[in-house]
Amino acid sequence: METLTKKRALSNRNSKYFYLLALIPFLAVVLMYEILPLIMLVIDSFHLDKKPDILFSLDNYKKIFTTLSYKKAILNSLKITAISTAFGIVIAFLGARAAHTTRGKFRSVFLTVLNMTSNFAGVPLAFAYMILLGNAGVLRQIADVYGIGFIQNFDLYTSTGLTLMYIYFQIPLSTLLLIPAFNGIRKEWGEANMLLGGTNGMFWRKVGVPVLLPSIFSTISVLFANALCAYATAYALLMNNFSLLPVNISACFVGDIKTKPMLGAALSVVMMLIMCIVILINNFITKKVTKWEGVSK
Amino acid sequence: MAYIRFEQINKKFGTNHVLKDIDLTVEKGQLVTLLGPSGCGKSTLLRCLAGLEQVTSGHIFLDGEEITEVVPRQRGIGMVFQQYSLFPNMNVRENVAYGLKLKKLPKKEIEEKVEHMLGVVGLSDKIGHYPSQLSGGQQQRVALARAMVTAPKVLLLDEPLSAIDALLRKQLQIEIRRIQQQLGITTIFVTHDQDEAMVMSDMIHLFHDGRIEQSGTPEQIYTQPATKFAATFIGNYNLPACADFNEAFGTALPYQDLAIRPEIVRLSKDLAADREGLHTAEGIVTGHISHGSLIRYEVTIGKLHLNADVVFGKHISFTEGDKVVVSVPAELIVGL
Amino acid sequence: MKRGKLSAKIVITLVVVWLLIPLAATIVYSLFEDWTGIVPHGFTLANYKAIFTNPQFLTAMYQTVLICIIPILITIAVVLLALFVVTVYFPRLEKYVQILCMIPYTIQGVILSVSILILYARNKSFLSGRMVMLIGAYCIIILPHIYNGIRNAMRAINMKMLLEAAEMLGESKISAFFKVIVPNIITGITVSSLLAVGLLFGDYVIIRNLSSSNVTNMQVFLYQTMKRSSTESSAVFVVIMLVTFAITAVVLTMQSRSTMEKIRNEGK
Repeated sequence: METLTKKRALSNRNSKYFYLLALIPFLAVVLMYEILPLIMLVIDSFHLDKKPDILFSLDNYKKIFTTLSYKKAILNSLKITAISTAFGIVIAFLGARAAHTTRGKFRSVFLTVLNMTSNFAGVPLAFAYMILLGNAGVLRQIADVYGIGFIQNFDLYTSTGLTLMYIYFQIPLSTLLLIPAFNGIRKEWGEANMLLGGTNGMFWRKVGVPVLLPSIFSTISVLFANALCAYATAYALLMNNFSLLPVNISACFVGDIKTKPMLGAALSVVMMLIMCIVILINNFITKKVTKWEGVSK
Repeated sequence: MAYIRFEQINKKFGTNHVLKDIDLTVEKGQLVTLLGPSGCGKSTLLRCLAGLEQVTSGHIFLDGEEITEVVPRQRGIGMVFQQYSLFPNMNVRENVAYGLKLKKLPKKEIEEKVEHMLGVVGLSDKIGHYPSQLSGGQQQRVALARAMVTAPKVLLLDEPLSAIDALLRKQLQIEIRRIQQQLGITTIFVTHDQDEAMVMSDMIHLFHDGRIEQSGTPEQIYTQPATKFAATFIGNYNLPACADFNEAFGTALPYQDLAIRPEIVRLSKDLAADREGLHTAEGIVTGHISHGSLIRYEVTIGKLHLNADVVFGKHISFTEGDKVVVSVPAELIVGL
Repeated sequence: MKRGKLSAKIVITLVVVWLLIPLAATIVYSLFEDWTGIVPHGFTLANYKAIFTNPQFLTAMYQTVLICIIPILITIAVVLLALFVVTVYFPRLEKYVQILCMIPYTIQGVILSVSILILYARNKSFLSGRMVMLIGAYCIIILPHIYNGIRNAMRAINMKMLLEAAEMLGESKISAFFKVIVPNIITGITVSSLLAVGLLFGDYVIIRNLSSSNVTNMQVFLYQTMKRSSTESSAVFVVIMLVTFAITAVVLTMQSRSTMEKIRNEGK
C-alpha cells in the first residue's frame, strides 16, 4: 500500500517535469531572437570591423566618445528625447487631470482620439507633418495669405521640426498611461484641503502630484525609451542627414555606404546603457519620493 | 440667536430634488445629528454647509453671518469624511499640521497644537506613522484631530464611523462625544444608524426624502415618533392599524395607525388584579426569537400581531401555542 | 468647481485639435486635386484609384497581413504553453518568464533588428532568410503585449479554481486548460493580438533593417511613394490610418464590452 502511493507520487512528480517540455518552444523563440542576438551584439561591440582577428578591444567605444559625429548623435538623441519627454509628461498631466474632472461625451471623445492616435507615429506622422508644415505645406500657405510670420518662417526639416513630431507622438501614449493613475486621487483629499484653507494649486503641489509621482516617473521611463529608440519618424523626415543614435546604428548595418556592424554594435550597447541608466535613476528617485508608499504595518 | 441657521434650503441635482425647503437651527456647543436612510439628503445638507455643494436656493447663516456664497476655505469649518480622507503621502504630524501651516502660524505653535490635539484623540505615539500604517479607527481619529486643530467654528462629521467594525465603533462613538463635550465644539453629525444617533446627540433631526420628518431630543424621537416613517426608522415599533387594535382590545382609539414599542407590551399567564391604565386582551404566542438579553415574542390576537420584548431570565417563559394575557399601558401608545 | 470644469474642457479641446489637425489636413489633401491657398480645389478620388490599381500596393498589403499574422500566432501559442506550465506546475518560474517577456520593452526595434542581423546574417542556413529573421524579430517585439494580455486575462478568471473544478469532473489538466481556460480568456487574447497587429502594422525600422526590399509592408510602401507623389502618398496614408483606427475601434468595443460584463457579473 505504502509503496503504491510512493510510486504514484513519484510518477506524479515525473509527469510534472514532463510538462517542462511545453516550455521549450517559448525558450527557443526567446533564446534565438532575444537573448542570443543581444549577447552576440555585446560580444561584437568588442570586435573591430577592420581587424577581425582581434578578440577584445575597446576601440569602438573609444571611437564613439572621441568622434565628433557620434558624440553629436548621442547629444542630439538625448536632447530631443529629453525635450519631447518633458513636454509629453506636462501635457499628459494636464490632459489626464482634465479627463479626470470631466464626464460624459467630452471625456469619451477625448479617450477615443487618444486611442486612435496612439499608433500614429513613424513614416505616416512625418508625412502628415510634411503636408501640414513642409515647404509647400497647407498651414504654410494659409500663413502666407494671412501673414503669420512664425509659421511662414518655420522650417520643418530641422531638429525643431523633428522635436515637434516627437512631442506629437508622446502625447497620446503618456496621457493614456497617466489617466488610470488619476483614479487613485480621492475626492475627499481635495475637499479636506479646501476646508483646511488650501487652494487648488496648493492641493496639487502638496498632495496630488506627490501621490501621482510613481506613475509619473514610470510614464517618464516609457516616454524616454519611446523617443530614444524612435527611428522611422526621424528617418522619414531627414533620412541620414540628421545625426541620431538609432539612425546612426541602422546606418552601420544597412545602407549604401560601407557597413560597420561592430561599431554599430558598440553604438547599440551605448544606447542600451543610456536606457538602463535612465531606468535606474528613475527607480532611485521613485523610491526616494514615495517612501510613504512602501511602509506598511 | 441660533449659531447655525438654514433657511428654506433647496438643492436640486438636475431633476433630482434632494433637499426640499429645509429650515433648521443649531445652538452653539451642541452635537446635532442628521439621521436618515441613505439618499435622504442629510449628507447633502452637510456639504452645503461646508460649501462643497452650492444650494439651489435658500440661505445659510453661521455665527450671525450669511455664508451662502462664501468659498469653503473661508467658512471656518472642519470636516471628517467617511474614510480615506488623510493625505497618504504625509505622516500623522504633517496631516494634522496641514491646516495650521496654511494659516502660516509659527512653527513652535504648530508643533504644540498638533501634539496637544493628538493627545486629545489619544494617538501621541503614532505621530510619525503614515496613514497606511494605521487602522481604520486610528485614521479616523487622526482625521478628527486634523479637523479640530484649526479650531473651526463648526465640526462636521459625515458618517465617520460607517467603515469601522461594530465593537470599535461603539468605543469611538463615546470617545467622539467626550471630546466634543470637552472642547465644547458645535458639531453636526450625519449617520444612518439610529443607535449611534441616540448615543451621541443633543438633538436629532430625522430626514426622509429631502425633508425633515421630525426634530427632537433622542428621548423625544424615541418615545414620541411623529410619523409612521419615524416609528419604522427608530427602534422596532409595532405599527398596527388602529382599527385592528380597537377590535382586538375592545377600545375606541381615534387614529389611523398606532405605534407601540415592543418593550411596553406585557405578557402574563393570568389576568393581573390591578388593570388601572392598561388595555388587555387574550392572545396566542405564535413565535419567539432570542436577542441575548431579550426574548421577542410574537403574539396574535385575532387579526392583530404584536411583538413583545421580555427581559430574559425572568421566571416567565412561553412557547408557541400558549394562551397569554397581553396588556399595553394606554398612555404609552402613540397614535399616528 | 465650475471654473475647474471649464479649464478641463479647454485643455481637452486643445489636445484633441492638436492631435487631429495633421490627420484632417492629410485626409482633405488626399481628396482634392490641388490645395494651394486656403481652400482646396477639385474633389477627386483619383489618388485612391491610382493606389488600388497599383500591383505593388496590393503586394504590400498582402505581405503586411502575412507578416502580421504569422508572428502573432506563433507568439500566442508559445506564451500560452509556457504560462500553462508555469502557473499550474512551476509558479516559481513565473518571475523568470516575466523578465524574459519584458526585456523587449526596453530594447525596442532598432537594437533588436540589428542584433538579429549580427547573429544570423553571416549564417548560411535557412535562419539567415530575410523572412525568417523578420518573423523572429516580430515575435519578440510583440512578446510583452501578448504576455501581458494573456496573463491579465488569466488573473481575471481565477484559473486555479477553474482548473481544480474541471479536474474534479474528470478532465486531465492539459485538456481542462484548453477546454476551460482558453475559451474563457479568448477575449483577452484577441484584444492583445489586435494591439500587436497595430504595433506590427506601424513597424518601419525592423522591416527596413531586416528585409532589404525583399518584403515590403504598408509603411515601406508609403515611404517609397512619398518620394514619387505626395498626393498618392496621402491616399496610402489614409488607408493606413483607416486600418489602424478600425483595429483600435474593435479593441475599444471589445474592452468596454468585457468591462461591462465584469460589472454586470459583480453586480450579481
